[in-house]
Amino acid sequence: MTDLERLEKIICEYKELEPGTLTPETTFQELELDSLDLVDMTMACEDEFGVSIELDDNLKTIADLLDLIRKD
Amino acid sequence: MNMLQSPICELLEIRYPVLQGGMAWIADGKLAAAVSEGGGLGIISAMNANASWLREQIREAKSRTSKPFGVNIMLMSPFADDVAQVVVEEQVPVVTTGAGNPSKYMSMWKSAGIRVIPVVASVALARMMEKHGADAVIAEGGESGGHIGEAATMPLVPQVADAVHIPVIAAGGIGDGRGLAAALMLGACGVQMGTRFLVAKECGVHPVYKEKVLKAKDIDTIVTGRRLGHACRGLKNAFSREYAKKEWLPETSMEELEAFGVGSLRKAAVEGNEKEGSFLCGQIAGLVTREQPAAEILQQVCEEAEALLKGASQWVNG
Repeated sequence: MTDLERLEKIICEYKELEPGTLTPETTFQELELDSLDLVDMTMACEDEFGVSIELDDNLKTIADLLDLIRKD
Repeated sequence: MNMLQSPICELLEIRYPVLQGGMAWIADGKLAAAVSEGGGLGIISAMNANASWLREQIREAKSRTSKPFGVNIMLMSPFADDVAQVVVEEQVPVVTTGAGNPSKYMSMWKSAGIRVIPVVASVALARMMEKHGADAVIAEGGESGGHIGEAATMPLVPQVADAVHIPVIAAGGIGDGRGLAAALMLGACGVQMGTRFLVAKECGVHPVYKEKVLKAKDIDTIVTGRRLGHACRGLKNAFSREYAKKEWLPETSMEELEAFGVGSLRKAAVEGNEKEGSFLCGQIAGLVTREQPAAEILQQVCEEAEALLKGASQWVNG
């Protein structure tokens, strides 16, 4: 599984979406994820990828989150 | 001699494992000092105030007590960066935080020897704060007054306690020794109370506000602001009822709703404006019926908890 597919799986399970419905450009606003949801997602990604993610205000899309994951 | 012992007492150098909530427009240097003198941890609310106001309140507190006290920093304040610096300069021993992630200030505060205790409304946030070096977390359930998360205290506290290794302080819906004893059983090692201290003698909130809280019943609060993503609990009155009506009308814009709330807490806390003020308080208001000195509140709550905990074996055979 690619990193993007692993990330998509986490988000789809969280939002009860069908896999394959998200793109890197999908925004967290479109997904209706609020700040607490983002923290939840971030911790889930940390557990999945074994990384430490620093959330910042520029986090808008799935691609942004993937960049943060890969940065560590 | 109090019998309660808790790691939070050692961590914060306080006698009782009780913090006073950082209530905006309510928790000033005088109240914080009274709570700290009484053996708990008093907390000044920095709310949206600037650095010089906060510095004044810190110095006020220091003139009244040599015991530890804290400052609550509201991270969405336009002055957050400034007040984050003030607490270092003024050597405030404890900082609690709300409305955001305090990570960007953590290393500055920790280097200054400040104990950092973020308020959290979810397990994930508690874990994140532990990861960033928080000394403890305050797990605050939706029963509390002011800005709230979705989870209630009863389910939130044990889940947070399971998820982190740092001390957990329970908040939301706690107003007496039963709440403190229950919080300890849920896995917390202390509590934070807001509403109970709002009616402390040393609290300078407008007398109309105190009176409303003292007269409130269990079901007299309402949550508004969910549409804006800022759910907030306060007493039902003309203002909150009007807000609740407007909130979900399709013709009400987000900007209009935001503007309607501006200044409402100040109108309640400073002016006692019964119609236009927002009287924030928690669901425990129905249990809060007497104005008392802060020291008496602390002693009463802790003695009640001690008696309950010592008598808890009545529930167990053998």
